[in-house]
Amino acid sequence: MRKVWSIGIVLFLVLCAFQITKEPLFSVPTSWPKPVYDFSKNPLTAQKVELGRALFYDPLLSKNNQISCASCHSPFTAFTHVDHDLSHGIEDRIGTRNSPALMNLAWHQSFMWDGAINHLDMQALAPISHPNEMGEKIESVVKKLQQSKNYSALFLKAFGDSIITGEHTLKAISQFMLTLVSSNSKYDSVMRKQAQFTPQQKNGYTIFQKNCAACHAEPLFTNLQFENNGLAVDTTLNDYGRMRITKNKSDSLKFKVPTLRNIEFSFPYMHDGRFKTIAAVLKHYTSGVKHSQTLSVHLQKPMILSSNDKVDLTAFLLTLTDKSFLFNTKYGFPKK
Amino acid sequence: MSKRIVYMMMCLLKGVFLFSQSASCIKFSPSFGSEKLSADSVYYLNVSDSIQITSLRFYVSNMELLDNNKSVWIDSNPFHLIDAFNEKTLSVIVPSNISYSKLKFNLGIDSTTNVSGAMGGDLDPTKGMYWTWQSGYINFKLEGTSNISKTRHNEFQFHLGGYQHPFNSLQTVFIEITSKSTIEINIDLLQIFQQINLAQQHHIMSPGQEAMDFSEKVIQSLSIKK
Repeated sequence: MRKVWSIGIVLFLVLCAFQITKEPLFSVPTSWPKPVYDFSKNPLTAQKVELGRALFYDPLLSKNNQISCASCHSPFTAFTHVDHDLSHGIEDRIGTRNSPALMNLAWHQSFMWDGAINHLDMQALAPISHPNEMGEKIESVVKKLQQSKNYSALFLKAFGDSIITGEHTLKAISQFMLTLVSSNSKYDSVMRKQAQFTPQQKNGYTIFQKNCAACHAEPLFTNLQFENNGLAVDTTLNDYGRMRITKNKSDSLKFKVPTLRNIEFSFPYMHDGRFKTIAAVLKHYTSGVKHSQTLSVHLQKPMILSSNDKVDLTAFLLTLTDKSFLFNTKYGFPKK
Repeated sequence: MSKRIVYMMMCLLKGVFLFSQSASCIKFSPSFGSEKLSADSVYYLNVSDSIQITSLRFYVSNMELLDNNKSVWIDSNPFHLIDAFNEKTLSVIVPSNISYSKLKFNLGIDSTTNVSGAMGGDLDPTKGMYWTWQSGYINFKLEGTSNISKTRHNEFQFHLGGYQHPFNSLQTVFIEITSKSTIEINIDLLQIFQQINLAQQHHIMSPGQEAMDFSEKVIQSLSIKK
């Protein structure tokens, strides 16, 4: 009898362990394309993701130890800086762009509004080094981390090496960011045939597919390309977007198409955060588009939407809200 | 008896091992004209114009030895960050038990490596040879001061990089060499400064035509020390 019990307990423990290991750190949602991130060069482990999460929320990454990644990429607002058109960094210095929402990054080949960054691993270097953001050097970040007993232990656990390097620091941050997958909105449930759109949402979806989907392509709700969406140049910023990187005139005023997932929470909108509401964005597309040589081919013809259309389209856009992503405790401030 | 055989075998193997390990060394020797480059020296372009060098660092990558234009050796450690003021970094070990007539290497980092994410060793971004605002390695970095540069503190800074068409500044170098124990490759900064005007050109910090033109001047300053 005792033997039976012990076998039972062992079986139970094995099953428990199986349950715990069963939930993958990252998985490709059904019918989504293959990610572009090469996981073989940075295989995800729970320890590395946890380390990355600690780093993401740690103001140690900034020069005056006051600004963390999460300062401008808050989990509750789809990892963007809510309420600020332009994001601000150390000593209240204001940058020139609206911080982008962070999600589904494993599918992105380039980062930033102008695609200046070519790999997720290298992304964190930009805000760390920018004088208006974190104003720090990666060399100093590594030094500060090395002086921390807590981090020595975390790096040892994650990489089997307590000597901290730039490579390991950046790879750990990537690991956490890679886990930020939003694929559980009402839209996704409808696509998986687990839910149904209301007639209004359904009509909005049809309007979306006709007018918006060329750039905001499903399922990521971005074609990951650079487009000029007809915004007038803000003469206080004179930001010409992609052209700064390629030095090619044909890229003037082109910015990376942002995802629309969780758009309800990721306001304000556009690279300079000029629109506070979805209504203002729709007004731009129906009556504010400025024609210029590089205007997106998808916006050459005027977009005509009745006020009912706009209401229905907005109802559809709100189905892209993914509460299980926004309020996922796994993505929140790490427990000490 | 058998112990003795094993011992003899081991000696033999050791000999073979040592032989296969015999090596020569390719050494980069930075100079200003005929003078060895040092951080404390003041160099003169002419009677009135002086130059001091504070930093000279560059990547040498994908070294390869060729014989009759056929590859006979490829460097298993493909990336070397050479720092003119750090003696340890100046030499690369190559085998000497093979015959070769040409050395090939890249000055800089190839485009595939540039888009492959975070890497360690000499490629770690903490080495100060990576652009943070726009991804990409700095292939070559030359910094210093000169009375000719009418800039803040008379500084000049040349950070050459760029891996994307049409601004790929990577340079592939072929040098005829003969095998000997130390092959010295001279990089003569005087030759570079004679071709540019520091009054007009004192900063390159991004990929572009300027960086590409400057990179060509850099490889023209390379020669084998006889």
